[in-house]
Amino acid sequence: MVKVLVVASSERDAGEALGAFSSAGDAVVLAYGKAAAQADAIAEYGVKVYKLDSDVMDVVFAALKKLYDDEKPSIVAGVSTKNNRDIMSRLAGLYDLPMTTEAYDVEVGEDYVRYKRGALSARAIATEKAPLPAIVLLAPRKTKPAEKKGGGSVEELKVEAEPTVKVVGRQEKVKGGVNLEEAEIIVSVGRGFKKKEDLKLAFELAELLGAQIGCSRPIAADLKWLSEDHWVGLSGKKVAPKLYIAIGISGAPQHIAGITDSKIIVAINKDKSAQIFKHADYGVVADLYQFLPVLIKKLKERMGKA
Amino acid sequence: MGDIVVLVKAALNPETIRSRPDGTVDIDAMSLKISDIDRNAVEEANRLKSALGGKVYSITILTWGPVAKRSKDLKMAVQEALAKGVDEAYILADDEIVPGDPVTTASAIVGIIKKEGLNPDLILAGEATIDGFTGQIAGRVAAKLGLPYVSFARKIEVKDGKIVAERDLEDYLETVEAPLPAVVSVTREINQPRPPTLLQIRRASKKPQKTLKAADVEGLVKPKRVIEELRVVAVKRKQIIIEGDTLEEIADKLIDYLVKEGVLQL
Repeated sequence: MVKVLVVASSERDAGEALGAFSSAGDAVVLAYGKAAAQADAIAEYGVKVYKLDSDVMDVVFAALKKLYDDEKPSIVAGVSTKNNRDIMSRLAGLYDLPMTTEAYDVEVGEDYVRYKRGALSARAIATEKAPLPAIVLLAPRKTKPAEKKGGGSVEELKVEAEPTVKVVGRQEKVKGGVNLEEAEIIVSVGRGFKKKEDLKLAFELAELLGAQIGCSRPIAADLKWLSEDHWVGLSGKKVAPKLYIAIGISGAPQHIAGITDSKIIVAINKDKSAQIFKHADYGVVADLYQFLPVLIKKLKERMGKA
Repeated sequence: MGDIVVLVKAALNPETIRSRPDGTVDIDAMSLKISDIDRNAVEEANRLKSALGGKVYSITILTWGPVAKRSKDLKMAVQEALAKGVDEAYILADDEIVPGDPVTTASAIVGIIKKEGLNPDLILAGEATIDGFTGQIAGRVAAKLGLPYVSFARKIEVKDGKIVAERDLEDYLETVEAPLPAVVSVTREINQPRPPTLLQIRRASKKPQKTLKAADVEGLVKPKRVIEELRVVAVKRKQIIIEGDTLEEIADKLIDYLVKEGVLQL
């Protein structure tokens, strides 16, 4: 049995990390940020929870280091959020620990941890083994949360350290009200659309199909025609719909990495050499401005909505 | 004064992935290229150079071997960084530390910074590299050097010996202020890297480069993690291009296919 330190900023993340490692040994949890308010709920997993009411990185790192020094865990675990990557990479550097992110199918032995993870822009799956102590950040939503068996406890953690890097402002991101991870059908738009107004063609198709709207990086990050929660890809959302329709998307590797779990992929692009066709089940080489109105008309006819 | 160190990786190019007959990745058949987000880091270093008034040094640690086979790709990646505004390049290539491990890479970077007496105000890196994408090198280097760390920056400004940066997180943007020297990892959104001009490429070959061996740096940590297997994801896409005389015909065929696949109900 090994000792596990789980670091989480939400109850769900704590549950998943405990689920992955609960059979490995005794766990304690550092609940920071949003998870501080959920400390009692996390304790229901039957673990001791150290509650830290801060999400300032330098403060959270100081707490993490203190707990690591006190508890001497063999595994430090969490979900691969950006803030977790931040503090964990520092801990890894400080003690020369092996560290991974986006891991799943975790197996813990007496002196090692073995896991799988996507590599090479999601085109390969690596099986890796690291000696303990090690840091393992999980791929979100790929691990079943642990069972709540009750009987844990909560202790408030105070950190005296003044942060060197000061937080001077925060701004919530605008949300487009989509939840692409759960979508069954996604109609996704790319640079093939010349103007923001033209996206209404895709919106009309999406409405007809009961689909959610996704997009490639330039549409969200550069042009800002859609909010970032529509962004599909390595730096955006990883999606797994039964039908993914890529319209005017060239198929950069980072985009492909986000859609590999789709059941069926359709690509509509006027450039027949576009990379997206290599990653699609069905391709239509046509100008989207000409093809979409026809497709919408045909769908309406066959759905009896014409 | 005011120097910048930018971390540049010659990463496995995922687009050149090849499968062996048994379905594992033929790593030796893949090529290396400068990691995409490191281009953004180099561009940002070049942009901040005038504000800080110093030189830009790049550090590259070869993580995929063997050295003899990779030297051409490695040189190309470093040349690109030099063409884009890096003044001097440091490279560590040694068969003793390939295949690498972030634990080793970070210790090598810190070893080179110390050995070469680099005293940067700013260390810049991409948020992650396109091959492994674990995004941990910058944080490791910060911790090992005891420097402040700002991750996932999509905007950096230098002001009165401090930096103000915007961290791009899942649900919010966070503006932070850090004293220099500091380590910052940047996202792809921080700038739009432009390809180097011919003149820049020509000048690049004349800039100083220093190649080191593992034995040259102190504190090198041996790789710990082992990649036991690397399998190509076996997603077989049908790649059917739908043909037809009219768009109507193509649309009908597409709808038929999707109904037959059970992904569309009419």
